Amino acid sequence: MYKPKKHIAFTALFTSISTLSFSKNNMSSFYSESTFLALIILSVVLAAIAALLFGIRKHLKSLNEEKNPTTKEPTFYESKIYPVISKWNPTIATLVIAGFLLVVLGSFGYKFGMDEVGVQQGYAPNQPINFSHKLHAGQYEMDCKYCHSTVEKSKSASIPSLNTCMNCHKYVKADEKYNGKTSPEIQKIYDAIGYDGDNMEYIEGYEQKPIKWIRIHNLPDLAYFNHSQHVVVGNLECQTCHGPVQEMEKVEQYATLQMGWCIDCHRERGIESETNEYYEEVHKNMIAEGKDYVTVAENGGLECSKCHY
Amino acid sequence: MSSNKYWKGVEELEQTQEFVTSNANEFSEGLPLDKVFANDDSTRANRRDFLKYFGFGLGAVTLAACNKAPVKKAIPYTEKPDNVTPGVPLYYASSSVSNSEGFPVLVKVREGRPIKFEPNKEATYFGGGLDGLGHSAILSLYDTNRLKGAMIAGKRKVQEWSAFDKEVVAALDTTVANGKAIAVVTNGSTSLVTNQAIADFKAKYSNTNVVAYEPISYSGIIRANETAFGSAVIPAYNFQNADVIVSFGADFLGTWISPIKFHSDYGKNRVPKNGKMSKHFQFESLMSLTGSNADVRVPIKMSNVGKHLIALYRELGGATPHDGMETAGNSIKQAAAELKAAQGRALVICGSNDEQDQLLANAINTMLGSYGSTIDITNYYKGQSADENNFNAFLKEAANGSYGAVITLGANPVYSHSQTEAAYTKIPVRISTAITRNESSINSTHIATGLHPLESWDIQEPYKGRFILSQPTISPVFEGRHIASSLVAWSGASVKGTKDYSHAYVFAKSVFNNSIGGDFNKAIENGVLENTSTATVPSLNVTMNSTIEAIAAKKSSDKELILYQKVGVRDGAYGNTPWAHEMPDPITKVTWDNYLCVSMPDAKAAGWETGDTIKVTTPSASMEMPVLIQPGQTKETYGIALGYGRVLPEEVQNDLKDLGHNAYPLVDMKGGFANYTIGGIKLEKVETARVYEFGITQTHYSIEGRDIIREASLEEYRQDPKAGHNVHKPKPISLWEDYDYSKGHHWAMAIDMNSCTGCSACIVSCSIENNVPIVGRDEVRRRREMHWLRIDRYYSFEAPAKKDLSLSIVHGGDQTVEAGDQMTKEKVMEAYSEATEDQAKAYDYYENVKVAHQPMMCQHCDNAPCETVCPVLATTHSSEGLNQMTYNRCIGTKYCGNNCPYKVRRFNWFRYNENEKFDYHFSNDLGKMVINPDVTVRSRGVMEKCSFCVQRIQSAKLTAKRDNRKMKADEFTTACAQTCPSNAIVFGDLNDANSEISKLYKDDRSYHVLEELGVKPSVQYLSKIRNTDNQNNA
Repeated sequence: MYKPKKHIAFTALFTSISTLSFSKNNMSSFYSESTFLALIILSVVLAAIAALLFGIRKHLKSLNEEKNPTTKEPTFYESKIYPVISKWNPTIATLVIAGFLLVVLGSFGYKFGMDEVGVQQGYAPNQPINFSHKLHAGQYEMDCKYCHSTVEKSKSASIPSLNTCMNCHKYVKADEKYNGKTSPEIQKIYDAIGYDGDNMEYIEGYEQKPIKWIRIHNLPDLAYFNHSQHVVVGNLECQTCHGPVQEMEKVEQYATLQMGWCIDCHRERGIESETNEYYEEVHKNMIAEGKDYVTVAENGGLECSKCHY
Repeated sequence: MSSNKYWKGVEELEQTQEFVTSNANEFSEGLPLDKVFANDDSTRANRRDFLKYFGFGLGAVTLAACNKAPVKKAIPYTEKPDNVTPGVPLYYASSSVSNSEGFPVLVKVREGRPIKFEPNKEATYFGGGLDGLGHSAILSLYDTNRLKGAMIAGKRKVQEWSAFDKEVVAALDTTVANGKAIAVVTNGSTSLVTNQAIADFKAKYSNTNVVAYEPISYSGIIRANETAFGSAVIPAYNFQNADVIVSFGADFLGTWISPIKFHSDYGKNRVPKNGKMSKHFQFESLMSLTGSNADVRVPIKMSNVGKHLIALYRELGGATPHDGMETAGNSIKQAAAELKAAQGRALVICGSNDEQDQLLANAINTMLGSYGSTIDITNYYKGQSADENNFNAFLKEAANGSYGAVITLGANPVYSHSQTEAAYTKIPVRISTAITRNESSINSTHIATGLHPLESWDIQEPYKGRFILSQPTISPVFEGRHIASSLVAWSGASVKGTKDYSHAYVFAKSVFNNSIGGDFNKAIENGVLENTSTATVPSLNVTMNSTIEAIAAKKSSDKELILYQKVGVRDGAYGNTPWAHEMPDPITKVTWDNYLCVSMPDAKAAGWETGDTIKVTTPSASMEMPVLIQPGQTKETYGIALGYGRVLPEEVQNDLKDLGHNAYPLVDMKGGFANYTIGGIKLEKVETARVYEFGITQTHYSIEGRDIIREASLEEYRQDPKAGHNVHKPKPISLWEDYDYSKGHHWAMAIDMNSCTGCSACIVSCSIENNVPIVGRDEVRRRREMHWLRIDRYYSFEAPAKKDLSLSIVHGGDQTVEAGDQMTKEKVMEAYSEATEDQAKAYDYYENVKVAHQPMMCQHCDNAPCETVCPVLATTHSSEGLNQMTYNRCIGTKYCGNNCPYKVRRFNWFRYNENEKFDYHFSNDLGKMVINPDVTVRSRGVMEKCSFCVQRIQSAKLTAKRDNRKMKADEFTTACAQTCPSNAIVFGDLNDANSEISKLYKDDRSYHVLEELGVKPSVQYLSKIRNTDNQNNA
């Protein structure tokens, strides 16, 4: 038995649904609009062909049945299931079942695909120390740059080294909450760096054990990203990409970090041409052309080797 | 249109069948399509197979998709050092190991890992460049085969330093008690730190004899200077002061004494400014890098160097009692005339290691007033000054059993001196400080593993009064210890193990304060320090009569073997440096091998082909070598490179294991000095099962004989600055719209073919900067080398003189060809056959070749042919003039490589960094430390090519933006331009009127390669000008 038509029908439907699901997830920019339209038209055409072929097949089958009538023992399907489902409206039933299957399979497929290419939006692993950004950045209003101190100088914002923690935690032990004992989470810092919390002094000759944090934001090797470019030159707030970190008890990946997401922003945002002397020429041209701002994209920010090299 | 036909190799000129076939194909091996489509069921894929594999693939992918993405860790410092910013490189002044005495460099360090050497531009005396070997030495830091710590023979485990020191001291004390002497064999160290430590050691063990050993001897020069001027030194040579340079077999741009420094000095006078440039005569046997750059190159026999010197001496007015001389036609006459005219700005050097030859050269230089100008004997060179007399005496005594212990510091005499091994076995205590297991350390009783230069404090004095300071840029990778710390520990001072390297710091600082003085920290920051005196003019103590008699009395042999060094590998001290081995030799373009070079006439006469195995028998030894035919080589001379055939640790299992043949046993030591020219040799072909195949890149990526080298003589250039490329240029009609570069940056490059010597340092620098994988000899054979930048070396014929064929080059003589004619092989042959019917001379024209070097990398064309054929837009154009390559889009169709007229795109055939077959330090965890984190490590199946170091462009732009300023002219440059010792490559922004590139683009010599194609490259070449005219010729 060779049933190519069913394959076609499934494929067409799957394609259209998964395409739609991309668009729902703010992915329209991943494909250009024309590609998206073309895909929809293609799936409609394919669906029509599938329906036509189904019809022909059914017709041929019934013709064949008329010519060579067969008599057989009724199978389990014929005796038990067929009488039930024959009462259903065939169109509605097929659509419901197929729709259900497609939604389930499609969403699984989507999730797998995303994982495969390393899209980890919402990724919030348990960290070796239950560090609360909500407490530090939210309640105590500490500046992000106090700990992530290289964000203005380097490509990486960098996880603070433990001596940064110790600037405060030399004294702050949160022992009032733990019957005079150092908080177990803060104790982890002490254990790593070699600090005696009770006597408030560093232990001599201690073999330090670095904290192995779990990396949340993983850009692939092929993409170059520089924090200082965005924070200093682009004058972006940390929250623009990292979300409301000051409200997160446990940090999670806020943005998709996909190329489409980068590009969307590059298409919309203007560069800081007025204040930066580097952009002097760009700014002059902008005024001459009567524009209010120049987007990153217009300044070459969509070119491949700006990020890929 | 240039008047010469250019060719890259003998096979191309002769159009051998093999060449024609392989040249027709872009890739050396086709796809095995015949097999697939053969009507054979066993190999044919059918529908069932297809479904099976398809189903399996689908299943595998589904299963793989079920895996969670791997959890990645981020581990910050526990206590961050103040000056370290993760993601930002730091630069430290230190030294690399191009020569044994070190070379000033900046070390680029990322997060505590040294990842690249960059030239120290503050070190102006040393020229601000770096060579290929110097660059590749960084890999030796991350060599997994390094010794892990103190070792004692018979014990596998690494020893505690305190226990080890006790054993060594006990052994040394026993030696003293037995009344035996201790020898310290150094590598002729110029290190003040090591020398002080040796002095401290001697204070305790007074019966210690310090013997310097260098694999390559310059004792001829040293002894000649002692006889002539009373100072036994190698002088400093100042090529920047020389208007006329005459070299007799000295490869000063490639391997002679201090080539990187000589490069930049030489380069200063090689660019024709105001119609003037220096003139360079080279009399030599083998085709050397220096010879390939000479204006006048005369093939002579090395054994006849002295006789040519006599002729020159006489031409210059010296009294000669004897007639035994060679004039090389009128070449010597010409050279003499030029030298005379350049009195005080002339330089004659000689590469033979013979005292008499060097004495005569000294006399000539004295006549020419070179001392104090082009030669400085006051601030002399201190490196490579070991006298083999001392070492030979030591070996003799050791063989007699008078030594009880030997400490080998950094030197490796067992490899390069054939008599050492026997002598060493007579010494009961053998201590080595090697950092990797080498020939000399393998039979040691104790190994006090030393530190890599990048882990050490050091103060070196390569030239008198010029100091190079090294500082560690990484804490010791293994449990080694500084040489000085070890020596001092044995003499009784308290020194701890590896972790406590403060001792070396304190020691180095005290040496600095005692011997130099001043601000130590400032000196360390600069990396170099100068404290020189004014050059004096020495007076010649001797007359030349006896010297000339001695030279004239020497018989010249009919066949002679010349042992030389290759530019990439030098004396072989750093055997385990794959980058240096993969760098094609600038002349032969062979990678990974040494060989017997023969001249074309000799090969034809003997019936040898490249790849045949030849047995070479000298009076003292014999060995079998594959043969390579080398145009430009003198008839009856044969060359073998030293520095190969190293015995590496067993763990090394790749091409490094099998690196050519060790030619050191052939060095003739009979006359009391190392003679590298050996007469009385026999050569015979050995019948082997197959012809040896070299990994040779010379005819890869053929340019199909197109006119891409433009050259002219200086005289022509004076008359017309556009000479050589002043061709009619049709106005190109473009199908494409032009790019508008009026805004922002427009990156471009200019390459001066006059300055470029072909030294290939840029190739290695580029590879390290851009994580270009090392592929190994076998892959090079398949034309799969990955270098983004190659240097094409083209040969062309000199116009031969009709009458006098024994004179190789006669300028202004009877020429059989009119100026402007194509100097094709046929024309040259015709000229020769008219002159002689002698069959023996039928191929003599191969002696007279000119060489042009042309670096070739992605030309970043505006109308790039690669961009239009890419089906997936993986290669696109940027608004700043770059041709961008996006690896993650590339699907590997290789269309771009096919369509590129410059043949600069490379296909990535393997996942080199993950594949154990390519274990050139790059695929193991330690070797990966050297990877530049700012550049993608490409995977299998993508095309790659020169990016104009876009990571550097982006980083420089970002720095300017962050500092809220405009970019400064030339504030950064590419890796190749940065390392070029002769400043041949200039990179910059054409839109910046102050940049060097925008000035160079207006130079009359500039042209684009293949500009008739209309692809509008962003790389401009400056035509080659040869100073070949005889203004002073009588």
